[in-house]
Amino acid sequence: MSLRESDIKQGPVCTPGSLGNYLWNDLPDPNKWADCVHCGMCLESCPTYEQTGQEQHSPRGRVHLMKSVAEGKLEINEDFIDPIFACLDCRACTTACPADVDVGGLIEEVRGQIRQAIPLTGWKAFVSKFFLQGVFPHPTRLHALGNLLKLYQKSGLQKLARKTKLIHIMPQHLADMEAILPEISEPVRKKYKHVNVIKAKGETKHTVALLTGCVMDVMFSDINEATIRVLTRNGNDVVIPQNQTCCGALHVHAGDRETGRELAKQNIEAFQHVDRVIVNAAGCGCMLKEYPELFRNDPVWHEKAEEFSRKVEDISKYLYDTGYEIPKAQLNTRITYHDACHLAHGQGIRQEPRAILSSIPGVEMVYMPNADRCCGSAGIYNITHPEMAGAVLKSKMENVPEDVELISMGNPGCMLQMAMGVLKHGRNQKVVHTVQLLDWAYQKEEGKEDRT
Amino acid sequence: MRGKGIHTNDPHIQALARIVGGEKSILYKKEDLLAYDCDGFTVHRHLPKAVVFPKNTEEVAAIVKYCHEHDLPFLARGAGTGLSGGAIPLNGEVIISLVRMKRLISVDLENRRAVVEPGFVNLKLTNSISDRGYYYAPDPSSQYCCTIGGNVAENAGGAHCLKYGVTTNHILGLEVVLPNGEIVEIGENGIPDPPGYDLLGLLTGSEGTLGIVTKITVRILKNPEAKQTVLAYFDRVADASQAVSDIISAGMVPAALEMMDQTAIEAVEAAAFPVGHPKDIEALLLIEVDGISAGIAEQIEAILHICRQRNVREVKVAQNEQERARWWANRKTGFGAMGAISPDYLVQDGVIPRSKLPEVLQQIQQISQKYGLRIANIFHAGDGNLHPLVLFDAEKPGETEKALAAGSECLQACAAVGGSITGEHGVGIEKKEEMRFIFNDEEIIAQTNIRDVFNPKNLLNAGKLFPTPGRCVEVKKG
Ligand SMILES: Cc1cc2nc3c(=O)[nH]c(=O)nc-3n(C[C@H](O)[C@H](O)[C@H](O)COP(=O)(O)OP(=O)(O)OC[C@H]3O[C@@H](n4cnc5c(N)ncnc54)[C@H](O)[C@@H]3O)c2cc1C
Ligand code: SF4
Ligand code: SF4
Repeated sequence: MSLRESDIKQGPVCTPGSLGNYLWNDLPDPNKWADCVHCGMCLESCPTYEQTGQEQHSPRGRVHLMKSVAEGKLEINEDFIDPIFACLDCRACTTACPADVDVGGLIEEVRGQIRQAIPLTGWKAFVSKFFLQGVFPHPTRLHALGNLLKLYQKSGLQKLARKTKLIHIMPQHLADMEAILPEISEPVRKKYKHVNVIKAKGETKHTVALLTGCVMDVMFSDINEATIRVLTRNGNDVVIPQNQTCCGALHVHAGDRETGRELAKQNIEAFQHVDRVIVNAAGCGCMLKEYPELFRNDPVWHEKAEEFSRKVEDISKYLYDTGYEIPKAQLNTRITYHDACHLAHGQGIRQEPRAILSSIPGVEMVYMPNADRCCGSAGIYNITHPEMAGAVLKSKMENVPEDVELISMGNPGCMLQMAMGVLKHGRNQKVVHTVQLLDWAYQKEEGKEDRT
Repeated sequence: MRGKGIHTNDPHIQALARIVGGEKSILYKKEDLLAYDCDGFTVHRHLPKAVVFPKNTEEVAAIVKYCHEHDLPFLARGAGTGLSGGAIPLNGEVIISLVRMKRLISVDLENRRAVVEPGFVNLKLTNSISDRGYYYAPDPSSQYCCTIGGNVAENAGGAHCLKYGVTTNHILGLEVVLPNGEIVEIGENGIPDPPGYDLLGLLTGSEGTLGIVTKITVRILKNPEAKQTVLAYFDRVADASQAVSDIISAGMVPAALEMMDQTAIEAVEAAAFPVGHPKDIEALLLIEVDGISAGIAEQIEAILHICRQRNVREVKVAQNEQERARWWANRKTGFGAMGAISPDYLVQDGVIPRSKLPEVLQQIQQISQKYGLRIANIFHAGDGNLHPLVLFDAEKPGETEKALAAGSECLQACAAVGGSITGEHGVGIEKKEEMRFIFNDEEIIAQTNIRDVFNPKNLLNAGKLFPTPGRCVEVKKG
């Protein structure tokens, strides 16, 4: 038998500027799959393999398929796309892999090829165009959408919709989402539009810039407010560059790397005069740190992106590293902590948020098994793959201890998904961001009103 | 995900789909099948005809019966971490994946046993009972992912098998679907050593050629009262090997006694779980002793003393569980870590008498030079189970062949000093020709005759474990 024999015909010889059946700009990086030795040590870490038991839905299988396209053994078609887009991009495999294979990075690069080869059609194209290109990159439109949501909530329409079961007309996963929409308040980017610097309380030790995020600032502006209060309380002047924009993570996950690059450039420029960029959304932080990946073929921007990414830090790690004041007030609550994928697997931040939470007087941390298992949120995954997202969420909820009051985490996407989990699985926990809890403790200490 | 019905006219696919309950439990498109064209042994690749995912023993039996009646070749697959190609569909088999049969059926602490389905992952068993003070002893380095069904088939070993024995020493009973679809129970009720032939022993390690295991009763052990772990760095391999011999000759039976050489150290330090080993040492030893608390300290003292006598550069005892866990993660991810320093690797699995360690390592060094390929060594030094890892780049023309030849020569070196060609990874496709290093044709035929009793049509996992007839047939005639 000849070696490397295969039942599949060899593909065309590479033409310059292509790689097997990858024919488009921004080719995937072959070094990434070259590291994979096919050992299978990543299988059990993968939520989609856990659910299906099928290896084309495992990291090893995905890497193998992506490599096969480069070898000309497979073409980019619907059947190849399925496992590639069913990946949650949760990066758990990167943590598990002994050879440090960057499966998530590869998946994003290959999605870039797929989206150029086969543009989206149907409702997925609509959703993608409407949100990814039409809304997220445009703060005013997002705010308008936010206002609409606010109107929807305030006007009683929401109540009406719930009462009249109008939400039953929506597809189930959208109805689920509707049920957990947070109260919408004013975005901080708008609020501080005319404030150059939000001054530290007391002596200024550092000056930092805050990435307000796109969806984050509309749906979760209270978390941004909490972040600002916690930062200023700990001696940081906070600036909010007004020309910053959406981080581009959703675009890159969806394969729209071109828009990703445009957004990246805008952010790199927006933050060029600051030394520290603080992020409170793990997904965004991970993306900002990975900007250099987007400019592998553009040395000038690559260097700028490298310089930029070194300035980025997650709020929990920043506080932990630069020191923060331990609050004096008691919170008296039992909580558990969920590792957002893009914090634990994407940025290697696990201990810092736990340390902060445990340092708050009266907070009792209860261990959650498999805390770093994906919750199924994964950007807009819960909209594009509701069935898989639901199954992944179910496994997650089974691990949430019964006897806790709060589930804390460092990513707004996870917060929405976990809130949905609480609702769907009849649990009674509240979902909070790590900085919110710290903020509550400070507020209580300052004698301001308690969270309840 | 997709779920749009079965799109093929192949009547076999349709029939199999009906057995397992529809399109979510069968794969038959090229894009999906490609993920099953090999296991942890990547040199040979073949597409299966289909992959089916039964939920229970009855479905397995029905699939097997169908294949038997229609002369379709088939084989079992667990997590596909096998290193000798046992799960590769050489003949375009129907792959029966057992991974959805992954329940822990029962735990009986009083009688110290547990019953699992074959797709249950090795480490999950220990994780499920550790809070009650018990564990499952066989601990292959792949234990995070490999299945207990696959462990039974390969008679898997692990770092702690020096003291506690390999998989076969922990199997009390099996439910097996025979190659004609019949369901049988072996070692019922877990009674040890029943009268008659030791069928459990025969089935364990049969590399999926005699039947498909669908339920396993295993022995579980009480956690040792105490445990201590030592890490020792040696400037010379010869000193490290001598220390291993000395420890065993002193009458100690450490729970684990592992060695890594310089190239292996370079890889694990470049990979995901570095410990900070010095890069200029020739070898390190990772030694663990466990048991009742009394006596552990003396054993550790004795081991430290031996290491020092053998010119150890530095030796230390793990100060806490985190440190110990870090040392073990570094060791247990050693094979995968090769990816950090080489595009491909081929791992061999020779066994030699311990006293021959320095000599054989020397020969492996020569083989490495001869072929111009680096060879890393990570191994269970305590029981003389070597794992030479031949590093190569399959993209470079001719290098795969060179790696295979180098690997084969390593095994020959092991056989030549009275050792064996596999300790725990099995023969599979990889080492079937090397079986001739240790068995003559008659001995091989005697074994294939046993296989034929169970697997007369040879539809189940054909072309594995024994060399292709050729010469054997002639002997038969003569
Ligand atoms: C990084 C790495 C480290 C490893 N370390 C070790 C080690 O320390 N010790 C060791 O012994 N091995 C080791 N291995 C090899 C491998 O993990 C073991 O052989 C393991 O037992 C295979 O289990 P699996 O579930 O992956 O089986 P698979 O690879 O899927 O199958 C292996 C063989 O078993 C058969 N089989 C699988 N399930 C069944 C069943 N239910 N009934 C009948 N036959 C079945 C298959 O047909 C095949 O022939 C390692 C592998 C890797 C990749
Ligand atoms: S991605 Fe990493 S863990 Fe998974 S098979 Fe490849 S090398 Fe092994
Ligand atoms: S990123 Fe997550 S979902 Fe995707 S292959 Fe890795 S573990 Fe699986």
